[in-house]
Amino acid sequence: MTREPKGVMIMASKEDMVRITDAQERITHWILAGSFLIALITGLGLMYHHWSIIPTIFGGYYASKWIHIFSGVMFGLSLVMAIPMWWKECLFVEGDGKWIMKAGGYLWDAEDIPPAGKFNAGQKIFYWFVVVFGVILVVTGLIMANALSFPVVVARWAFMLHAMSVFVLASFLMVHIYLGTIGNPGTIQAMLHGWVTRAWASVHCPRWLEEKVDNTSSSSNS
Amino acid sequence: MAEHMMLIDLTKCTGCRACQVACKEWNGLRAEKTKFNGSYQNPPDLSYDTWTLVRFDEMKSENSLKKVEWLMRKEGCMHCVDAPCVQACPSPGALVKTPEGAVVHNPKYCIGCKACVVACPFDIPRYSPQEEKIAKCTLCYDRITEGKVPACVEACTTGCLEFGPKEDIIARAKARIKEVDASLYPNNGYETHVIYIVPKYAKVEEYSHLNPDPKVPSTELWWKNLFKPLTLIGMGGVAGLAALHYLIKGPHRVDDKGTEGGDDNG
Repeated sequence: MTREPKGVMIMASKEDMVRITDAQERITHWILAGSFLIALITGLGLMYHHWSIIPTIFGGYYASKWIHIFSGVMFGLSLVMAIPMWWKECLFVEGDGKWIMKAGGYLWDAEDIPPAGKFNAGQKIFYWFVVVFGVILVVTGLIMANALSFPVVVARWAFMLHAMSVFVLASFLMVHIYLGTIGNPGTIQAMLHGWVTRAWASVHCPRWLEEKVDNTSSSSNS
Repeated sequence: MAEHMMLIDLTKCTGCRACQVACKEWNGLRAEKTKFNGSYQNPPDLSYDTWTLVRFDEMKSENSLKKVEWLMRKEGCMHCVDAPCVQACPSPGALVKTPEGAVVHNPKYCIGCKACVVACPFDIPRYSPQEEKIAKCTLCYDRITEGKVPACVEACTTGCLEFGPKEDIIARAKARIKEVDASLYPNNGYETHVIYIVPKYAKVEEYSHLNPDPKVPSTELWWKNLFKPLTLIGMGGVAGLAALHYLIKGPHRVDDKGTEGGDDNG
């Protein structure tokens, strides 16, 4: 095999690839991501009057309201799928604290990083943030959409908690997007078709590679 | 047109409801099916088609000649100076603060999100699920910009309702509370373009559906003044830092041997 320039993702032969996600995970991820992004963009359009370009794109303020509500409901449904699917893999284990202190070597150079499993400690934190603040967003959103069926104090709190959760999740989302795309080339494949190189896995998910791939029969990794 | 105000002098209200009728007539609002609940209050509440309403309350009287004191109060939008409904509204133009002091809703732009209903300290805007819009008193904006007084003021039989330039109304109110030993509402510093003169024998708390301590809901101040800017700062800040990180550190690459390349030096 010719040596590709360093850093270019070579399409390795099947033996060099391992499958880290199944189709259900990838579909859930993109419904979750897509519905959140649509809700986020329409929500920002409704919150910032200067950005009237957003409601214009989405067909006006009235249409934006319904697209926001509909994508929010989709986000809620995909959360229902995502929460039971990943929670076990996102439980914190020994070494995660140390991993966090070094940011896993993702942000600055660090030595002696505890090996990450399928999800590293940073991704686990993101998962739990999505669970907690995602649920708050969906619940408060449903309250806001049916505001008159609730005591006014509940509806008022819903508006505030909705905005607070957006701030937290949208900011964290930027980290997630950066580290999942240009920050770590090759990573996005895990969410596109699921196949990552063994080399990638040995760096990003060494404990997963060792425990779930190499310890099981080699034919069952698809 | 300069800032105007409305004065509702409750010491003069006889509960004739001419204001209610005039409001319906001028604004072309439908009559509603109503119900007798043992009160003279009719209809029972504000609605999408009832923008002003005389509320009736019965208070135990300290006057030995009568057992009950009637409290009548014309209720409608207070046209707040720092209107929480306008701040909460996501659709530009749906709720507008005018130079005259009126807070006016425009059905053309209302998307029926109900944020104003939740934000209002006086529980005034009324939502219609059929129309998917809200409606409320406009201070007869279409009349006052033509130099007329609002329809309710025009119809008032006792002079309980007055309308005029802000300074005149405030001066009138201050003189009046000395004259009849009454108090002003709101009296907690919250500013509105509609003010009440409350007779001495009644306390604000005796009037039903009247918030004794109106203010912009603190939850709205939090989301509007804190989380709204923070969302932009958070998203933009993190995206900026990520870009900076990329420019300084470069992508975190893995070659086919599983060795990491922190930057592109090799």
